[in-house]
Amino acid sequence: MLTLRKNLIGIVAIIAAIVVFIVPFLFIVTTAMKTRLEASLLEFTWPQQFAFFENLAEVIAARDFMLITAFINSTVLTVVSVTLMVIFSAMVGWVLQRRQSRWNGFINFMVLAGLIIPPAVVPTIWVLQGLELFGTLPGLILIEVAYGLSFCVLLFRAFIATIPRELDEAATIDGAGPIRLFFTVVMPLLKSVIVTVIVVQAVFVFNDFQNPLYFLPGDENATVQLTLYNFQSQFNTQWNLLFTNILLITIPPLIMYIFFQKQIVAGLTSGAVKG
Amino acid sequence: MTARSPRRILLAMAASGAALTLTLAGCAAGDGGGSADGGPVELSILIDDTDVTIRTVEALISAFEAQNEDVTIDVETRPGGAEGDNIVKTRLATGEMNDLFFYNSGALLQALNPDQTLLNIADEAFVADINETFLAGVSTDNGVYGVPAGTAMGGGVLYNTAVYDELGLEVPTTWDEFMENNEAIAATDVAPVIQTYADTWTSQLFVLGDFANVLVEDPEWAEAYTANERKYAEDAVAVRGFEHLQEVYEAGYLNEDFASATFDDGMRKVALGEGAHYPMLTFAVPTIVELYPAESENVGFFALPGDNDENPLTTWLSAGIYASADTERPEAALRFMEFVASVEGCDVQTEAVAPAGPYFVEGCTLPDDIAPATADLLPYFEREGGTAPALEFLSPIKGPALEQITVEVGSGIRPAADAAALYDEDVVKQAQQLGIEGW
Repeated sequence: MLTLRKNLIGIVAIIAAIVVFIVPFLFIVTTAMKTRLEASLLEFTWPQQFAFFENLAEVIAARDFMLITAFINSTVLTVVSVTLMVIFSAMVGWVLQRRQSRWNGFINFMVLAGLIIPPAVVPTIWVLQGLELFGTLPGLILIEVAYGLSFCVLLFRAFIATIPRELDEAATIDGAGPIRLFFTVVMPLLKSVIVTVIVVQAVFVFNDFQNPLYFLPGDENATVQLTLYNFQSQFNTQWNLLFTNILLITIPPLIMYIFFQKQIVAGLTSGAVKG
Repeated sequence: MTARSPRRILLAMAASGAALTLTLAGCAAGDGGGSADGGPVELSILIDDTDVTIRTVEALISAFEAQNEDVTIDVETRPGGAEGDNIVKTRLATGEMNDLFFYNSGALLQALNPDQTLLNIADEAFVADINETFLAGVSTDNGVYGVPAGTAMGGGVLYNTAVYDELGLEVPTTWDEFMENNEAIAATDVAPVIQTYADTWTSQLFVLGDFANVLVEDPEWAEAYTANERKYAEDAVAVRGFEHLQEVYEAGYLNEDFASATFDDGMRKVALGEGAHYPMLTFAVPTIVELYPAESENVGFFALPGDNDENPLTTWLSAGIYASADTERPEAALRFMEFVASVEGCDVQTEAVAPAGPYFVEGCTLPDDIAPATADLLPYFEREGGTAPALEFLSPIKGPALEQITVEVGSGIRPAADAAALYDEDVVKQAQQLGIEGW
C-alpha cells in the first residue's frame, strides 16, 4: 500500500514535469518544423509539411549569417564575464568575511546598493563613451560583471563563513602568502558555491536581452538573444523561423546541463543547506 | 594597520583620479572617424525589423548604390514598438545614432526633439517635390526633417468581396448601412466583424479611423483638442468611435475568438472569408498579398463609415527617413534622401513591396496591377475632401493607454462613455509631459 502511494506521488511528479517542461519544448520543436502559413496558426499539431531543414538553413543564413557571429559573441561574453565574476566576487567575499575593518560597513552598503539601485541606461553609456568602451564586447562584459557582482559576493560571503578559519591559519603557518592561500587553499573549498554561481550567472548572461540591446549596437555585435528579433517584429512574426531560432539557442545550455548535471545538482544542494 | 590606512586612501584617490582623467580624455578625443578621400563613403541606416520595411529600404539602397558607386550603406535593424522607441531615443541622446534612420512621422517624431537631434533639410531642393501633407508631419516651426519612405495608408475596413458578392451586399457609406450589412452576414456562419485583441494595438481602429468623420462635423477639432478645449467624453461626435465599438460587441458581431486572436489571424480570416470586415490600416495589404497571393484578390477596402454622408477616409502618413544631426557625412546622407524622395525612388519601392496606397512624392504613380484593397483606396484621394489625416498627425497628444481601453470596450468590460472619460484622463499626463499650453 505504502509503495503504491509512493509510486503514485512519483508518477504525479513526473506528469507535472512533463506538462511544465516537455510540452513547451515539443511545441517549439513541432512549430520549428512547420511552414510559415501552418506555423502562424500556433497549433500544437504534427506538421503536415516537413520544413525543418529549410527553416534551419534560412535561420542560419539570415542577415549574413548573423546567428554564427551571435553564437561566438555570446560564448565569449558568457565565458569571460562569468569567469571574472567568480574570481572577483570570491576575492571580495573572502576578504569581507575574514578581515574586519572599518571599511566593511561601507563595502557592505555598496554591495547592497548594487542589488537595490536600478541601473540607468543613458548615464552608463556616457561612462562607457568616456572610457571608449561603448559598443565593444569588453564594455558589455564589464557591464555584466558589474550587474552580477553584488549577488555573487553575497553568495560567496555566506559560504565562506562555513569554512573553518583554522585552515587559513594552518596554510599561513606553512608559509603560504595571501595569493597562494587564496588560489590553492580557499578556491578548491569553494567548488560547490562556484558551480552555483557559474550556473546562475551563465544562464543570466546568456539569456540577457536588455543590456546587449542598448549597450552593444550593430549587427556585427549581436548576441543570440538579439537574433530572435530577426524573425519577430511588432506587426508580423515568422513563427516557424522564430521557433527554429529558439531551438538552436536552447541547445548550448542543454548540452552544458547534460555534461555538468552532477556538479550542478551537487552545487545547488550544498549551497542550499550550508549557504 | 594604522600606518597602512593613509597609504591606501592615497592609492584610492590616485586610482579615481586616473579614472576621471581617462573619462575626460575620452570626451575630448571623441570619434575621429570618417572616411578618407578616395575610398567609398560608408553610411549606416537604422530601420525597424518589419519585413516590409527591410525589403523597402534594401531595395532603395541597392538601387542607390548602383548609381552612386562612391557610397555604400549598411543596414542595421532594431525592434519595433516601445523597445524600438527607446533605442532611437537612447542613441539620439548619447550621440550614437546611425547616419540615417527610419522612423514614424507625426506625434512620435515630435517626441524625438527633432530641432536638436536631426539634420534640417528645409533648404534642400528636393523638398519641393514632397507632398505638403507629409511635410506637415515631419516639420517643426524651425525646420523640415524627413523624406517619405513607403506610401500613404488608409485606416478603415478591409472586407472580403467574395462574401459581399455572395450575399449581394453594397459597400456601406454610413454606419447604419454598415450595421445592416453586418446583420445580413451574421445570418451566415461568417463572422461579421473581426477583432484581434491578442495584438492590442489592433483594437484602436474604430476610434482612430473614425477621426475623418469627426473632422467633417467639426473642422477645428484637432486644434481645439490640443488646446484642451475638446474632450472625447463631452463631445457627442468624437465619442462615437467608442460607441461603435461597443455596438458591434453588443450585437454579437465579433468573431468568437476575438479575445485571443492575433493580427495574423485577422489577416487570414479576412482573406479566406472566415470573417467579413476587419478594421485595419491598409499597411496590412502587402503582407496579405505575400501570404495569400490568390485570396488577396478578394480583399477590398472602404473608409470607416460614420453618421454623415461624406464618408471621408482617415489617412496615415508614411514613415520617414531622417538624418542624425551628428552625422559626419551629411552630403552623402542628403544624396540618399534625395533619391528616396524621387520618382525613381517610388518605382524602386513599388517593385520591392506591393504599395499600400499612393506615394507622397510629386510625379509618382502606381502600377496597374495593384492589389484591389489598394485600388479601393485611390478614389478617396482623388475626391475633394475625401481624406483627412489621423489625429496623431494633427495633434501631438496621444494617450499611451488607448489600446488597452479600446480592448475593454470591445470586450464588453467597459461602456463607451466611461472609456472615453478614462482616455481623456490618460492624455492629460502626456500633454503635461510635452509641456503643451492649457493643460
